[in-house]
Amino acid sequence: MHNNKLQSALFAAGITLVLACLMIGVKLDTESTTLAVRGATAEQWTWIGLGVTLVFLSQLFSNQIDTLFGKLPKPNVGGLLPKGQKMATLKPWLIAALLVGLVIWPFMVSRGSVDLATLTLIYIMLGLGLNIVVGLAGLLDLGFVAFYAVGAYTYALLSMYFGLSFWVCLPLSAGFAALFGFVLGFPVLRLRGDYLAIVTLGFGEIIRILLNNWTNVTNGPSGISGIAKPSLFGLEFTRRAKEEGGQTFHDFFGIAYSSSYKIIFLYLIAVVLVCFLIYLINRLMRMPIGRAWEALREDEIACRSLGLNRTAIKLSAFTLGASTAGFAGSFFAARQGFISPESFIFIESAIILAIVVLGGMGSQIGVILAAIVMTILPELAREFSEYRMLMFGLLMVLMMRWRPEGLVPMKRPHLELKQ
Amino acid sequence: MKTIKTTLKAVALAVMATTSLAHADTLKIGLAGPATGPVAQYGDMQKIGVMAAIDDINKAGGINGMQLEGVIYDDACDPKQAVAVANKIVNDGIQHVVGHLCSSSTEPASDIYEEEGILMITAASTSPSITEKGHQLIFRTIGLDSLQGTLAAEHIQNTVKPARLAVIHDKQQYGEGLATTVKNALDKAGTKAVLFEGVTAGDKDFSALIAKLKKANVDFVYYGGYHPELGLILRQSREKGFTAQFMGPEGVVNSDLAKIAGAASEGVLATAPKSFDQNPVNQARVDGIKAKGEDPTGPFVFTAYAAVELMKDAIVKTGGTDPEKMAEHIRANPLETAIGKVSYDQKGDLNESTFQVYTLHQDGSKTAVK
Amino acid sequence: MTETFLYLIQQLINGLTIGSTYALIAIGYTMVYGIIGMINFAHGEIYMIGSYVTFIVIAGLLGMGMVSLPVILLVALIVAVVMASTYGWTVERVAYRPLRGSNRLIPLISAIGMSIFLQNFVVLAQGSRDVALPPQITGGWTFGDPSVFEVSFSYMQALIWFTTFATMTALTLFISKSRMGRACRACSEDLGMTNLLGVDTNRTIALTFIIGAALAAVAGLLLGLYYGVVNPFVGFIAGLKAFTAAVLGGIGSIPGAVLGGLILGVTEALTSAYFPSEYKDVVSFGLLVLILLFRPSGLLGKPEVEKV
Repeated sequence: MHNNKLQSALFAAGITLVLACLMIGVKLDTESTTLAVRGATAEQWTWIGLGVTLVFLSQLFSNQIDTLFGKLPKPNVGGLLPKGQKMATLKPWLIAALLVGLVIWPFMVSRGSVDLATLTLIYIMLGLGLNIVVGLAGLLDLGFVAFYAVGAYTYALLSMYFGLSFWVCLPLSAGFAALFGFVLGFPVLRLRGDYLAIVTLGFGEIIRILLNNWTNVTNGPSGISGIAKPSLFGLEFTRRAKEEGGQTFHDFFGIAYSSSYKIIFLYLIAVVLVCFLIYLINRLMRMPIGRAWEALREDEIACRSLGLNRTAIKLSAFTLGASTAGFAGSFFAARQGFISPESFIFIESAIILAIVVLGGMGSQIGVILAAIVMTILPELAREFSEYRMLMFGLLMVLMMRWRPEGLVPMKRPHLELKQ
Repeated sequence: MKTIKTTLKAVALAVMATTSLAHADTLKIGLAGPATGPVAQYGDMQKIGVMAAIDDINKAGGINGMQLEGVIYDDACDPKQAVAVANKIVNDGIQHVVGHLCSSSTEPASDIYEEEGILMITAASTSPSITEKGHQLIFRTIGLDSLQGTLAAEHIQNTVKPARLAVIHDKQQYGEGLATTVKNALDKAGTKAVLFEGVTAGDKDFSALIAKLKKANVDFVYYGGYHPELGLILRQSREKGFTAQFMGPEGVVNSDLAKIAGAASEGVLATAPKSFDQNPVNQARVDGIKAKGEDPTGPFVFTAYAAVELMKDAIVKTGGTDPEKMAEHIRANPLETAIGKVSYDQKGDLNESTFQVYTLHQDGSKTAVK
Repeated sequence: MTETFLYLIQQLINGLTIGSTYALIAIGYTMVYGIIGMINFAHGEIYMIGSYVTFIVIAGLLGMGMVSLPVILLVALIVAVVMASTYGWTVERVAYRPLRGSNRLIPLISAIGMSIFLQNFVVLAQGSRDVALPPQITGGWTFGDPSVFEVSFSYMQALIWFTTFATMTALTLFISKSRMGRACRACSEDLGMTNLLGVDTNRTIALTFIIGAALAAVAGLLLGLYYGVVNPFVGFIAGLKAFTAAVLGGIGSIPGAVLGGLILGVTEALTSAYFPSEYKDVVSFGLLVLILLFRPSGLLGKPEVEKV
């Protein structure tokens, strides 16, 4: 047995050496005019050596490491909360405390943190939307970013051409994205599993390319800049009022101008939107339609035998998911002030999907946690600049190995009868 | 036990003292641009220029006794990350920024800098819309797309006089903007393009496009975009026996073009900022950069250098680091820099054109066209 | 012959060339999908690594003073295939095997993570700039009246056609005749049952990844020579196209992947030929959607049987 272990460890180390040698050990020289190769520096060889040793040791002691790994506490958020009756009384208080915390928090931290929190909230919205489609209804959507783009462009274009305000456009964007979801969903939802995935992926690309090519309307690759920021009942958050007779926030309240008001205001809007979405989706999940989504995910044939209309169910999930993305999109456009088709590429869809899967497929708390992890991690790792994305990719792989069921596996809302 | 505590306290105090001292004596300049991603090499050029300028200033004793320090921020040429970077710069209390590089990143970031009272000088973004919003604190040390495009159009109209012209671009803000300028200017001058078309940036196969150009009997192609695509178009054109004359903007002026296209890159025309590294005035600076083992020939090296020079001059003349005062000073007073005399109009654009038409060669060098 | 006709011929040649390489990469997707039902998003990166290895070997041998082109190409091919296969095998071993049996989205996310990892690994190891190789195989045939329109068909294009065709034939023979090929087919019919019958399914799956990676390496070599340029980002785009091709032809079917690749390549070339070329991706994805609407399992895919 031990001998076996040594053999496999040697084998793994050998493979690592082979893999590393030709990619890291030999470098194509891009400086000279003719293509040449040069060997790695001594430092790089040391790193390769270290890596190989690491792989060797980790394979040799893989059993011990696995035991250690198993002992590692898995995040158990649900377990932290009190159970049963106690929970029922505590819950409103907990939620209230959380809300108060969310509202007070931005006034105490730096502007960058608030801004990052706003971005996180956008991803939470997107995650919640895709969660309906993938997590609840079990439809694999790789082109979710298309609806996000539709939402963002709806607001940007309506605001640019017709001067409509953010508050008018917000429902319009959601509605428009929903319409797109409906129109696309109608023909393709009879496709199964991965065929649906590639069609949605293709749809995402088509939307992006059309936005890029339709220069007359969308400004093409230059994107749309100077998108108006939301206002508070007509009060603007700019230094000077944009139009004659307009009033700014700081004038109205007679306080000094500070740009952080705008950042905090945007953050608070995002908090409100997210809370609204969480509430809405929570309600829906308890309604027959929500039950039907999950039933369809679990067993399509059984659903049909029970007389459920699968097209209607899938379509409702798809449309609702899309409208959520539209919601998030119009807010994104407002926050960013500038959008271009570059912001809506495939990798964005992949990250949203990763949020849903990492969150635990269907679990709302999980999606929120995962969105926080996925947006804050790359920012924290900004110091490592060039290693940032490398670690991000590696982490996605490791997370799936470590906790494939997600951070917070989904629990169905249910009641238990007391004996 | 007590001694340990005292020692710890002393160490902590000492550390705090040194850090606060360091703060008083250094002025941080933000350097925002792509350090990763496909266009990272242009970010490198900007970095080389800024760091060279900072070194030179520090060696000469700094500004008013302050040493400069460049802080690098990576936006990967992604507008979303550019906004995050801009907010981080605001957060870090930096008030002077050289960057960003790609117009699509500079655009959203400049809005934030303007709002927050941060002075920004871009050394590479040429899109006209950046300075069209009435911003007061935004400048650039490079000419506009429109100037470059007009120069290219004039050259095509007056010198090349093509029989059948095609204008191709890469469907990106920079490339399409330029291509449109060139096409419109030539339209006005009476040379109609027989083909105006976009390609996909990042594509590798242009054989279909080349066959199309060949069928249209095109003898001159203006390409708006960067060197990776033009390099492949040139290379594949040669393989397919398509022998039109090509021309591009400064985004193709890069020794990589010669590496990709090889012999096919000989004789390609391009508009580019004047080669400031060839200017005898900059000899010492070029030597300084070469001594560090870096390449001084990139088109953005000296525009970035000049950006730091402008900041330095404004700090010296206004006697402080207040960005608004510095901006007023820069707008009002012409300055002799590494890229020659620099003066600004109200929008923050250069009055002087820094562009010139070049012929590129297959060894990666270029010669000016008279 | 008229100009229109010659032009069409030229664009068909261009389209079939690019289509053959899509087909080579698509086979990797389709085989993996056929066996374990997962989309191996990291497959495009394997192709990219194959291209890099080719460049490194060719540059190295040229640097050592080797002049014989056939020898250089052969060595490059062997090294690229071995290296890419090793990468393919390792990816499977590290990122997918531990996840077997879990929800099908889990390996998908793992694959996307792997793809991001490999791309950035190469960026760090080799830099993000385009690396260019001088043309190695030049020249070609031309036909048609030069005053009307001259059609060119380069030796390199011929090599791509020939290699693709030869590889396909070899693969088809391997799958249908050899013992290991039979195990592959058995696995894609029913993984659990094959396992019960005493076939080492883990080994068969690993073999599938190795074959897929080897074909990707061949594509990497051919395209590397054809375009003469590689950067760490080529894998993602090519992977997306090849995946589309695999679905178009019916994922899980090897002839389907080839057909899908060729159709996709020709569609792209013809769209570029007769419409603004910026719309070629819209047309190819649009075609995919259309085909799937009328044939929900792709062109040559088996309709899925619903098991109750």
